[in-house]
Amino acid sequence: MATVKINGIELQVEDNTLILDAARKAGFEIPTFCYQADLMGIGSCRMCLVEIEGQKKLQPSCVTPVLHGMSINTETPTVMSARASMLEFLLANHAMDCPVCDKGGECELQDMVHKYGPRKGRHADAKFKFHEKDYALSPVIIKNSNRCVNCMKCVRVCREVVGRNVLTALNRGDHQEATSFMRTFLDCDHDGNCIEVCPVGCFMRLPYRYKTRPWDLKGVDTICTYCATGCRMVIEHRDGTVVRARAQMGVGINSETLCARGRFGYDIMNDDGRVKTPMIKKSRTGGLEPASWEEAIAFIKDNLATVDGEKLGGIISPRSTNEEAYLFQKLIRTIFKSPNIDSSVRFKADAVEGFVKATGMDEGGASIFDCMEADTVLIIGAHLSDENPVTDYIVRRISGSRRMNLIITSPRAMKLDSSASVVLRHLPATEGALLDAIILNLNADKIVGSEALTALKDTKLEAVLAEAGVDAETVKLISNKIAGSASVGIIAGTDFLRSPEGLPPLGLLRELLKATGKKLTVVPVLDRCNQRGVWEMGGHPNFGPGYSAVKAKGMGTEAMLDAAHSGGLEALYIAGADLVTLAEDEDFVKRALSKVGFLVVQDTFMTETARLANVVLPGVSTGEKDGMFTNQEGRAQVIKKLLPPPGKAKKDIDIIRAVGEAFERSFGPKNPALVLDEIRKEIGMYSEVSLTFKNKRNPDNELDNKAALVKGTHSDLKIGSWPRRHVAADPAFPFILTTGNQLFHSGRLSRRSEILTSLSKGAEVEISESDATALGLKAGDKVRVKGARYEAVVSLKTKKGSKPGVAFIAENYNEAPVNRFFKKGEGLPRVSITKAL
Amino acid sequence: MEKVLLKNYGKPDSHKIENYILSGGYKGLEAAVKLKPDSLIQLIKDSGLRGRGGAGFSTGLKWSFIPKDPTIPKFLCCNADEGEPGTFKDRGIIDHDPHLLIEGMIITSYAIGASNAYIYIRGEFVFGTNRLQVAIDEAYAKGYLGKNIMGSGFNLDMYIHRGFGAYICGEETALLESIEGYRAQPRKKPPFPALAGLYAKPTVINNVETLSCIPSIVEKGAEWFSKIGAPKSPGPKIYCVSGHVKKPGLYELPMGTTVRDLIFNHCGGMLHEGRALKAVIPGGVSAPLLTPKDLDTPLDFDSLAAKGSMLGSGAVIVMDQTTCMVKSAHIVTRFFSHESCGKCTPCRDGTPWLTRVLGRIEHGEGKPGDVELLESLCTNIFGRTFCPLGDGAVMALRGFVKNFRDEFQFHIDYKRCMVS
Repeated sequence: MATVKINGIELQVEDNTLILDAARKAGFEIPTFCYQADLMGIGSCRMCLVEIEGQKKLQPSCVTPVLHGMSINTETPTVMSARASMLEFLLANHAMDCPVCDKGGECELQDMVHKYGPRKGRHADAKFKFHEKDYALSPVIIKNSNRCVNCMKCVRVCREVVGRNVLTALNRGDHQEATSFMRTFLDCDHDGNCIEVCPVGCFMRLPYRYKTRPWDLKGVDTICTYCATGCRMVIEHRDGTVVRARAQMGVGINSETLCARGRFGYDIMNDDGRVKTPMIKKSRTGGLEPASWEEAIAFIKDNLATVDGEKLGGIISPRSTNEEAYLFQKLIRTIFKSPNIDSSVRFKADAVEGFVKATGMDEGGASIFDCMEADTVLIIGAHLSDENPVTDYIVRRISGSRRMNLIITSPRAMKLDSSASVVLRHLPATEGALLDAIILNLNADKIVGSEALTALKDTKLEAVLAEAGVDAETVKLISNKIAGSASVGIIAGTDFLRSPEGLPPLGLLRELLKATGKKLTVVPVLDRCNQRGVWEMGGHPNFGPGYSAVKAKGMGTEAMLDAAHSGGLEALYIAGADLVTLAEDEDFVKRALSKVGFLVVQDTFMTETARLANVVLPGVSTGEKDGMFTNQEGRAQVIKKLLPPPGKAKKDIDIIRAVGEAFERSFGPKNPALVLDEIRKEIGMYSEVSLTFKNKRNPDNELDNKAALVKGTHSDLKIGSWPRRHVAADPAFPFILTTGNQLFHSGRLSRRSEILTSLSKGAEVEISESDATALGLKAGDKVRVKGARYEAVVSLKTKKGSKPGVAFIAENYNEAPVNRFFKKGEGLPRVSITKAL
Repeated sequence: MEKVLLKNYGKPDSHKIENYILSGGYKGLEAAVKLKPDSLIQLIKDSGLRGRGGAGFSTGLKWSFIPKDPTIPKFLCCNADEGEPGTFKDRGIIDHDPHLLIEGMIITSYAIGASNAYIYIRGEFVFGTNRLQVAIDEAYAKGYLGKNIMGSGFNLDMYIHRGFGAYICGEETALLESIEGYRAQPRKKPPFPALAGLYAKPTVINNVETLSCIPSIVEKGAEWFSKIGAPKSPGPKIYCVSGHVKKPGLYELPMGTTVRDLIFNHCGGMLHEGRALKAVIPGGVSAPLLTPKDLDTPLDFDSLAAKGSMLGSGAVIVMDQTTCMVKSAHIVTRFFSHESCGKCTPCRDGTPWLTRVLGRIEHGEGKPGDVELLESLCTNIFGRTFCPLGDGAVMALRGFVKNFRDEFQFHIDYKRCMVS
């Protein structure tokens, strides 16, 4: 601790506290441009100069740590004149085009000049102009260098947080321009974090350009609706059109960062193609016709009243709020008396149960920040950089600022590799074999513990190494790093759900690490915003709310489709999930759904699935309702309503309740607040969640709000046993096809976003650079991907350092539906890649 | 005085290792490896050698800050990015006596325990770079560089790193950034390079002239060195004289030679008979100028500091009565604004503003109040920049305005020059 005096006020602060922070503690704000808590300090803007008694020169408070006994003055005439003079210098070369600048009204330069600045400008000469016309750096970023204050936050955020490193500064002196190399059009993540950190109107959103003034915007503080990282952001509309999404410094786990989806995917809310009125299909052969709500509900009542619960199913979208999911499962379980409810279209019900158990989701929330505190962090089964970009940012930022081992194991190369201390490429769907190898290395001779752990003794290390396609040395290195760490973090992703063979070894590794007394934090990584919340509300056939036991396991999505296909499912209520495009084997799903006696689809858009329905109920999108999401870590966070529902669309929670009330008048609770009360009462894990935002904007950049983490519970979930499926080699089909999310998309929902669709280059297949070279192909070539059942012509993307023999097509393309390559019940399909003529 | 630094200057083939050895070269190294590194550092401390790059910091003291832990890699960087207008002393040593520098660097590396030494050389010095590379190769061949130097068990590799023509690279931390491959912009201090310099490892950065003093100090002793020139800043000093003198060039003289002695005795007086001396810049353009009344000031660190100027790099620029001070100030300030790296606000945006104001005064477009504006801008820049470059620009300009204010005013009032 150091004792310092700031403007005469004596206070105690931690050693090495920056003067800036100490002053703020004492209640004195110091203005800055180049300082940002999570970036490396450069001390260049000189706005934060302060007087330290005994030192001749003014010192930059944003890079100078306090020393014991220091006496600091932050508001003397010298300091104030220094601030004014810095602003005068900045304005001397500033474009001064505030009337046409997008930033006008929320510009830090404006604010500071207003507060500290010279009242009169003395610069009377011609200014240096970088360019006459603004130029675009990407489809979403437009640049006006004449407004730049050279804080270099854009360059630093790109390098230190996003990890793309595509921005730099050209030239020097007053000609210094922070931009891309030679001002070329960027092929980057297009996430616009450079825009967010820009204090002036230098980096700007292209889609937002000239649309509005900041003071004409109305916004709400909500949660992003794409992946399950759970980024806090503000979405803003003007006259009913959503025009901007932005992150806030020091708020949410993401602070001032968002990915391209979050920042530019807001325009799905402006889509004209929304279903705005209920529709019913009166006869088997007729089409869907608009109807009133009363008609639609009555139609449902007529058709469902006689259905046997066992022959009815419900599927709810993992993008629903907790309140909706809770009420939906209550509807299915208590009104329809059916055990058949699921929320995962792409994942097997038992795999989900195993995943929940293996990653310890039932033991309560696990903060990513706690995980990153560990000596060694293992990322497995997750393509973080593309699937959960902001989790990737958090990992990069923290791993870059402290001494730790970051181990990345995945079949495909990713951006985060550059931050890792060990990178290992294994074959797809062999996470299990790899984990077996790590466990065998950790204590090969004396594996003790549960039966399963002991049984592993008979497994041959060579065999599992060969199965995973990895070299013994790297696995040994990884094992040594884990063995030598007092605390270990594991970030486990959705590949475990796609290929559940990895789940038992993951459970065993946890057991082993805990047995050896290591502090262990496991963070599951999911790709739908409220997947975890919907599971925890009981949106699953194997467990009820809060992972409670169910009397009898119901059918999961897969079983329901099987039942439907054989004519055994009389009714299906789908709330928000587009089965046709997401479940494996599209043709099968279409056939199955058309055999369902009565299909109710509740969705915002007329999806492929909705077209097959007997009743379509228009729901609302995320910005049109209030509620709660639980992110992948188990953080309960609140979403807020920005706009009213379009047309006759109703909030999903009201629709679910209306359907329930049609069968039983008392069905409820009657409003979301009461539903939340019931959730708190019924689900122990959620007994303390709150609707009030707990992590308000805080200047210390404390992002980890532990109070929002859900509590642990006791559950009887089983990981289950998953025999390894071997994908037999086939010379005709040399590649193993894997899937996942693409950087600019999340499921098919984001396909509705024009901006996001403009960012991705269309359907691509990604293979390693070495494979491409061997095949005589290069990036951008049109190639034919041929599997046993389906083939598609897409363009080729190559990646350096990916595992050879692995092909990847994201699940987000309408033009190359990857689910058609898959066959239900089989493992990963094999494909061949040839040049398309 | 017996020449120390320029003793081989002008001799035929002085750059070749045979001739250097014949003239007594590498004797210092021979003596040095017999000493313990600690006593070597003490020797340099005792000699009173002060850095010749401009700041005049005690060289021995600088070396002594390097941690002694042998497991930490350490670096020596020679700052040969000689960019201060008017300065050409390092170039003289590099071109004519490269082995003197190399020997000094080997001894220094031995003293601080560095096993890698870099010479950061200005990009324009193509001739010098080639000479140095040949000399380094010769030293390797003779066993003065490489493994187990002169049987001492000490290893050293030496590399040349060429700059690309930026004045800021002469600032030591920007130089380090440049070697590491980043944009040359100064780093924040602390941590000082002695603790975290090149690749975040302890690093000594010394000027060419400083390092060239080392061999003779080791050979002839600290006492010999400390008796040359001014007591508080002893040793020989190369003055680079340019401007209106009869014989401009490099002059190696004892530290503390007076301006008058240098100009009228050694350099043969003013270039044009009958034109009076008007001003002297004593240490490169960032040093505030001296007027004829200060002609008896000794050219050493402390005496010049007392006069409000500085020795800097020892570049003496002489101007006679026909020199327009507004034009000179404009040229000097334009240099600084062109060379500003762009990192910090006052230097980046302040120096171009100064240049614009000076430009309009010079071109007869000055406005009343412009001199006051210049002074006010100087106040706003001085002491608030990230590195000394901005301060240098202001100090130079302040020197012009303070001593020749009437000339600036004349330019503004009469829209023409006072002297031509």
